[in-house]
Amino acid sequence: MSALVFPIYLSAMVAFAALAVVAPLGLFVAWLQASRPHRWRRLVDAAVMLPMILPPTVIGFFLVFVFGRHGPVGRVLELLGVRVIFTPAAAVIASSVVAFPVLVKAVQPAMEAVPRELIDVGRSLGLGPRAVFFRIVLRSAWRSVITGLVLAFVRALGEFGATMMFAGMIPGVTNTMPLEIFAAYQRAEDERALLYVAVLVGVAVLTAMLASRATAARRESSS
Amino acid sequence: MTELVEARSDGIAVGAAAPPAALAVSVEVRVGAPPAAFAVSVELELARGVAVLFGPSGCGKSITLQAIVGTLAPSAGRLVLHGRTLFDASLGVAVLPHERGIGYVPQHHALFPFATVAENVTFGLPRARRRRVEPEIAALMDELGIASLGAAMPDRLSGGERQRVALARALATRPKLLVLDEPFASIDMTGRAALRRVLRETLARRNLSAVLVTHDPVDALELGDTLVRFERGRTLPPESPSCLVPEHRAAFERAVVARRS
Repeated sequence: MSALVFPIYLSAMVAFAALAVVAPLGLFVAWLQASRPHRWRRLVDAAVMLPMILPPTVIGFFLVFVFGRHGPVGRVLELLGVRVIFTPAAAVIASSVVAFPVLVKAVQPAMEAVPRELIDVGRSLGLGPRAVFFRIVLRSAWRSVITGLVLAFVRALGEFGATMMFAGMIPGVTNTMPLEIFAAYQRAEDERALLYVAVLVGVAVLTAMLASRATAARRESSS
Repeated sequence: MTELVEARSDGIAVGAAAPPAALAVSVEVRVGAPPAAFAVSVELELARGVAVLFGPSGCGKSITLQAIVGTLAPSAGRLVLHGRTLFDASLGVAVLPHERGIGYVPQHHALFPFATVAENVTFGLPRARRRRVEPEIAALMDELGIASLGAAMPDRLSGGERQRVALARALATRPKLLVLDEPFASIDMTGRAALRRVLRETLARRNLSAVLVTHDPVDALELGDTLVRFERGRTLPPESPSCLVPEHRAAFERAVVARRS
């Protein structure tokens, strides 16, 4: 694969992998928070928000600390012969961390809006918790779920700060598009940078259009 | 007027001579945190037929139903359905709602808006069983007068039709008890009479017991075998629904006139 195409391919792979991590986890946490009040609700809410508020470099710093060779998780992985830091896996982790709150925040209000009576009826009809989630909650909130997944994907695609610190900028290994834009710009290779800028702008415009269509449809269906 | 009372008087099953109860409820249910806390203590025993929970709004009828259905846990007491303990605070028993086998028709019918009428009716049936019980479901929908609505979406239905679909959905899983929260609240006078008749016949045909919340004395008299009044956070001893007649004579007369016209 040419050095020009590799960052596009890598970014897509990293973003899809991050989505595969974030989707089940994010939908589960959103439902956990939406379904009923529990003792840790506020704490979990704050914890979910944190990656959205913290500067990406701070997240990167924490990830290096946790997954680095001397970090609590990194040390265990090192014993198993696995190294995460400065690999594409690190880029996936960094992207997952920042994309997670995007999904939860997009989906949680829609899950909270599922009428309690629908869920109560479902339970009385013999649906267990899993069936209630898939057959009632997800089906009622599917528009927001799609919007949330798309937004999370785009956030993962655009991850820069945490990836830079945790995955490094190794050409042919971890140089995702956002990192490559920065590197190319610094080397005064503006044309190369422009290619990736164009790709990311294209994805962003497409996403914005999709998201606005989803909100318009929701407004129509609720009126 | 008298014909109404007599028609029901044979079905009354109140008192000590009753056989083992289909449903025995003796619970205290609390909701909310201290400043806005609300507690209701319920004593209710139903040998067979329909128990009507009667009383003004906000006296705990709906949360009693939720405790029976299992979506709200009582703070104390015991709940037994056909000999099976569904809840017992002292033994730490609390059967989950989806394992209780209780059909629930909530106040606002709560049809699944994303599914057709037919899908709503079969919502509680496992996918594998759906095909096998097709004739049975068709007969049920026919019985409730919704056979022609299978492909319709819930938002195209009238209030009465929605209530029939909600009833069919609850009956499709063959529940051991039916629980209805103000099933006729959003239906006009003539529709109410028709739906009451459908409900009464459906229950009788299946020999199915039911607990029904209403604050309409006509509903209570027409459907109830036992009347349980709610007053200031507790239930009064069971009575015959006919005791409502002198209190609500005007309402009954209106209902009789409406039916004749």
